[in-house]
Amino acid sequence: MPRRDDIKSIMILGSGPIRIGQAAEFDFSGSQACTALREDGFKTILVNSNPATIQNDPEMADRVYIEPLLPEVVRSIMEKERPDALLAGMGGQTALNIATDLAHAGVLDELGIELIGSDLEAIDKAEDRDLFKRVCESIDLPVPFALACNSMDEVLKAADEIGSWPLLVRPAFTLGGLGGGTVWNIGQLVEVASLGLRKSRINQVLVEESILGWQEHEYEVMRDASDNCIVVCTMENIDPMGVHTGESVVVAPQQSLSDSDHQHLRDCALRLIRALNICGGCNVQFAYNQATGEVRVIEVNPRVSRSSALASKATGYPIARMAAKIAVGYTLDELPNPITGHGTTAAFEPTLDYCVVKIPRWPFDKFRTADRTLGTSMKSTGEVMAIGRCFEEAFLKAWSSLETGEPHPRPLTRADESDGEGMAERANEQLSDSTLVEWLSIATDKRMGALYEAFRRGWPIERVHEITRMTRWFLYRFQNLARAEASIVEHFGSIGSIDAHSMRQWKQLGFTDAHIADAKAGFPASGWKKIPTAAGESAVMKRRHELKIHPRYRMVDSCAAEFAAKTPYYYSTYEGSVDSGIDTLNNIEERLKERMVVIGSGPIRIGQGIEFDYGCVHAVGAIRQSGRDAIIINNNPETVSTDFDTSDRLYFEPLTLECISEVLLRERAHGILLQFGGQTAINLALPFESRLPYLKEMGLDTKVMGTSIDAVDEASDRQRFEAFANRIGLRMPRGAIGTTADEVRSAAGQIGFPVLIRPSYVLGGRGMEVLADEKQLQAYLDEAYLASDKPLLVDEYLGHAIELDVDAACDGEQVLIGAVMEHLEEAGIHSGDSTCFIPTQTISATMVEAVEKQTEQIGLGLGIVGCFNIQFAIQDDRLYVLEVNPRSSRTLPFVAKATGVPMARIAARATMGDLFVQQSIPQRRTGLVCVKAPVFPFIKLTGLDPAPGPEMKSTGEVMGSDPDADVAYLKARLATEIPVNTAGGAYVTVRSADKENVVPMVRDLIELGFTVHATPGTADVMRRNGLSVKTAYRITDSKQPDALNLMRSGDIQFVINIPTTSGGAVRDGNMMRRLAVEMNIPFVTTLSGARMEVAAIRAAGRGPTVPQRLKVSYLKD
Amino acid sequence: MSGSVKAGGGFSPGRLVTPSGDAPSFTDAADVLKHALPPVPDEEVPGLLLLADGSRFEGLLFGARESAEGELVFTTGMTGFQESLTDPSFAGQVLAFTYPLIGNYGVHLGRSESAGIWPRGVVVRHAMRNPDHRDSVAGIDEFLRAHGVTGIEAIDTRAVTRRVREHGTLLCVIGAASDERSLKQRLAELTPPDLEDLVNEVSLDEPILLNPGFNAPRLAALDCGIKYNILRELCRRFEVLWCPPDIAYEKLVSDWNIDAMFCSNGPGDPAHPGKATAARMTIAEAVSRGMPTMGICLGHQLLGLACGLTTYKMRYGHRGANQPVLDLLSRTVAITSQNHGFAVEDPEKGMLAAHPSGANSGPQENLAGVEAVVRYVNANDLTVEGLDIESRPAFSVQYHPEACPGPHDAAPLFERFSSIVAEHLRGGE
Repeated sequence: MPRRDDIKSIMILGSGPIRIGQAAEFDFSGSQACTALREDGFKTILVNSNPATIQNDPEMADRVYIEPLLPEVVRSIMEKERPDALLAGMGGQTALNIATDLAHAGVLDELGIELIGSDLEAIDKAEDRDLFKRVCESIDLPVPFALACNSMDEVLKAADEIGSWPLLVRPAFTLGGLGGGTVWNIGQLVEVASLGLRKSRINQVLVEESILGWQEHEYEVMRDASDNCIVVCTMENIDPMGVHTGESVVVAPQQSLSDSDHQHLRDCALRLIRALNICGGCNVQFAYNQATGEVRVIEVNPRVSRSSALASKATGYPIARMAAKIAVGYTLDELPNPITGHGTTAAFEPTLDYCVVKIPRWPFDKFRTADRTLGTSMKSTGEVMAIGRCFEEAFLKAWSSLETGEPHPRPLTRADESDGEGMAERANEQLSDSTLVEWLSIATDKRMGALYEAFRRGWPIERVHEITRMTRWFLYRFQNLARAEASIVEHFGSIGSIDAHSMRQWKQLGFTDAHIADAKAGFPASGWKKIPTAAGESAVMKRRHELKIHPRYRMVDSCAAEFAAKTPYYYSTYEGSVDSGIDTLNNIEERLKERMVVIGSGPIRIGQGIEFDYGCVHAVGAIRQSGRDAIIINNNPETVSTDFDTSDRLYFEPLTLECISEVLLRERAHGILLQFGGQTAINLALPFESRLPYLKEMGLDTKVMGTSIDAVDEASDRQRFEAFANRIGLRMPRGAIGTTADEVRSAAGQIGFPVLIRPSYVLGGRGMEVLADEKQLQAYLDEAYLASDKPLLVDEYLGHAIELDVDAACDGEQVLIGAVMEHLEEAGIHSGDSTCFIPTQTISATMVEAVEKQTEQIGLGLGIVGCFNIQFAIQDDRLYVLEVNPRSSRTLPFVAKATGVPMARIAARATMGDLFVQQSIPQRRTGLVCVKAPVFPFIKLTGLDPAPGPEMKSTGEVMGSDPDADVAYLKARLATEIPVNTAGGAYVTVRSADKENVVPMVRDLIELGFTVHATPGTADVMRRNGLSVKTAYRITDSKQPDALNLMRSGDIQFVINIPTTSGGAVRDGNMMRRLAVEMNIPFVTTLSGARMEVAAIRAAGRGPTVPQRLKVSYLKD
Repeated sequence: MSGSVKAGGGFSPGRLVTPSGDAPSFTDAADVLKHALPPVPDEEVPGLLLLADGSRFEGLLFGARESAEGELVFTTGMTGFQESLTDPSFAGQVLAFTYPLIGNYGVHLGRSESAGIWPRGVVVRHAMRNPDHRDSVAGIDEFLRAHGVTGIEAIDTRAVTRRVREHGTLLCVIGAASDERSLKQRLAELTPPDLEDLVNEVSLDEPILLNPGFNAPRLAALDCGIKYNILRELCRRFEVLWCPPDIAYEKLVSDWNIDAMFCSNGPGDPAHPGKATAARMTIAEAVSRGMPTMGICLGHQLLGLACGLTTYKMRYGHRGANQPVLDLLSRTVAITSQNHGFAVEDPEKGMLAAHPSGANSGPQENLAGVEAVVRYVNANDLTVEGLDIESRPAFSVQYHPEACPGPHDAAPLFERFSSIVAEHLRGGE
């Protein structure tokens, strides 16, 4: 069937903010879909609330709306735009839920909009657990014995009927298995099921038999309207059933199934999607009992998913693109396979000649108090993928891509147990065997390291299998790694004496130069960074180069080299023979185009999200626009930057000095761009500079494009920057550096409490806290790790200061200011977690001018070429510079979308020497207030205090825009998907200092019809001000009514809770905030937040908001 | 089986016989693994793989650790190494696996496609030790050793694949690195295995009724190197007479009173004057007499030749489990399992994806006197994948509906044949 001509315009829904369970994969799939539909001449209308995506760049779709992803908002945009069709399968569960809501409510029919891709019936059958089960039974596919329950009574009955423990509780219609879990007794069952019933959009949970310990396999399937079906990719989880697939280490293709096992599962998968009548891409999950061959169907996602993004990157097959084409009528055999081009079609099954490993990236390095146990709901924020010719190589490459501070698995010590970064003495003691058993048996982020360690200790396969239930095939691989590592440790002689055979064998198993150096040094307790240069990573590299051992680059071509592929998507591997054919870059020296390498930003994590991928994609665009070849190195399978046609050449590699150096050598690259890949790329600047002379000897003449490394250092190094600020007359908060506890104490004494304290050179404010007194300082020092190369920074804390963020670019002659953003929260809340406004709302014009002038001074003074970001604070009309980031920032895409000025692209052009006057820069858009609001992972991460502080906690952001600031804020708030409740009860508890200040908000709330409950102290102040409030008690008061009970009984719809210290976890407040998170009750922890929330409630009362179309015309150069 | 025992001859007549749709149990290539093998010395034997284009790959020998020679081909299937190794269509060839990890789940009893290993040598990136599967009785190393077949591992199989893709299938030798000079000599003297009567090497000598008494039409299955799973599929639907490729059609009718005819897969050049041509004569006769006939793989090529079409050697053929086949009638695609190095020429489009040697059968006489119509084509290179015979109850496919290894998408073709036979019998009564 060819393209449908009866459809002219298509609305595509995005997935909203980045959060746990829904990350950048939908930017990737949505972007592919938009491109695929536009190239076919369809008018595309995109709705998404996330300003940081490439997908909702104005050039991706014909109409872009950055509006809350809520059914009523989408409806109003539909009424305005009148699309012919709705494509919902590209925006994850969020989009699917909106589409089914609108379809069930009859809105789509009423407006004459057709749901394309899988239809409503197919979606319902796949999503409703009961219907799904019936479909499976009708085609004889075994599903776990399970009962759908709509109430707690039914849950208890179901448990009786199944009659064995443990049981698995899974809520229907949620993101990433939210609210589910394995339960071992009635108590746990009641707890988990009641949360699940609340979280499910249809108040339904499934109680089912446990298949813990079975293997988990996934099949990525495509089907078109002519019933052609293919399996794009198979994947096998290393973690057995019980751990969500998003939390599992995953291998593609599957390894342990025989052909008949695999074909059986393939048949089941195809039978199932035919019975469900799914059209497009979908994902089928199976549990497989390796001992008996029994199969259970676990679930189907009737849409593209995180797994399909992984499958696309693992095979090279563009699933989202093909799914979009299928949705508009094409059949698979009509579509060319873009990987191999002419002569092959999309109707084939990719075959791999390599092994892919995905490891999730968890936020526990930042959230040390959070519960690390992995189960059926997701906790990871992102993931990395690596490719090798064997499992071992792919696994170690993936490990070194994670950037958790440990670039290769080291022997476990008691320091790992304590989570300290060095913990000098403990690092000399081996982790106890009993702890190791625990780490193996309970799935956490530490499990893979523990596996490796078990084999380092010589534990037999069967013992580890008994503990972990993991498939032995994988265990043999870890055993192989441990044995090879032992051969490095035992290698006799210097690094210079390593022979070619050994070196090649180690490299083929994926050992990095640093790993080899570390192992040869016997993994010293002082850490891998402390190995002397002569015996360190560089020495191994030099020896390797002497032996002429370099990686070979292989193409990901979807066909195991059966056809000549044309997509330049590569991975490195160590193999004996020389490169030839499609895997080589011929005549590289004679090519005329300059080659520019962009360093990507790696996995999505707290503090480094999709915003940096956005910057990289724009940088690549700018390079290509300028007539150069753009080469990207990255390891995140979810992103647009790692799409096969984003760049001229893509290297799917760890972002390490070793891998980057080798790519540069192969490419004979002319330049490298470090300022778009976030802190990952910037952190490589100094090490890279020190390696440059050696690379030059190797015949490589590469320049760091844009801001010089020295300028990067001047901006990032506290002391150097202070000197710079003094020189040009900028005011900074007083600060000092301490490398010992005494130094820190005396620094704090000099500056005076409260102080802001944090480790140097970190991203996202890890370990940053505001300390009010000596006692808190001592507590901080007790936990902190201090060393001469890891000092602590102590700063004057600016209380009640307004914080500003500025994004700007400099071409060396001129500074271009993107925007000055005003934070809603006072300085002291991490800027990444703040709500901010463009334009500024309360700052005088003269102050804005001063900010702009200082920005210019800093840009030109430091010699920035490219983009930079500055944080300012204003206290009592005094302007302070807090920090300068000589790189693209988290807010850059927000600025671009709010102002219509594509800052990243302009900055990237500047790094290549194109002055602003030589570029055509669009006019700044005015007339709208744009608000960026953060989205937090509190619901997913138990054990984390849900209050913003100096340490960043948000995973993503949303944007709202409107001529009216209150409405713009309301839209942003709605987009966070926490409701703005316009009536009911409010609970107010405020620290003493702010009790008087909260009076106007309480007055407004009462005026708006709220019943206000307040803690006794707060209530007294309110009553003194003539306000009628009810008293509610703290839990510690042991009196009724207490706040928690009021919340549980549904009497509270809004909470104002301003804690005494923003960082200190006061137990009472923490419990109350956690409950609010779990019950989806909005709460604010700052006075300014309370003020805006009340304004939003008032604005919401004025009726529906008007969608604002993003009207930006990027001028084509 | 009469006379000498052939390397692959597969049937164990002792374990007959049920008058049912179940095939009897066959002698399986994995059966030898029930007995322990003598241990191998620990030290590695450096090996060489030399290709006729002059390229040289260093690796390590495994399996029999001796030497091997043949035509180098590659298969892209990621699973199914045991089924591939025991597929008689690989006779005469050296088989390279593009997937780097071969043998993960070990060798299983009763999963072979014949009683022997057919490739003369095996090339892999990693021959996996410590297989892990409930049915595994041994690893690929032991399997090759038990059958005296030499393999070479630690080879950059992607580079090997590219050579084959660029140059077409090539002759090659494998052996110990210490014997390089004599290996080169052997390579220089090597003649293409296509010149040998490979079908004779892999086929049965005397007919055997597999499921006598089964209440179904009687079918003669010409064995040109038939895979066990084809026999199993046929036995579910027919009373199957497993017979040698050169049995005469008249004999099948007069002595055996057959209702239908089948011609199997097999190795080598379909135009080889040996037993392949004898089989061609038999099916030509069958088709011209209106006997329901189905051909798979080599059987398909022989049917094409019988209808006067030309066959030719392909550049590097189709070997793997992901080949898309387009049904020109229904416009639907099946993902199929394939293993062939020759193809039937498209009467209109000619010899697509041909080998640089240009080897082909030349013009052929239309022995069957009927016209063959192209019904199935490869969605990638548009080569002929199946024929329907005009006004006769006969068809053939280049790919493997019996799978093993590979997807089951094409399995309904056996049903299709079954109904053709049934309809023919009804019409004939």
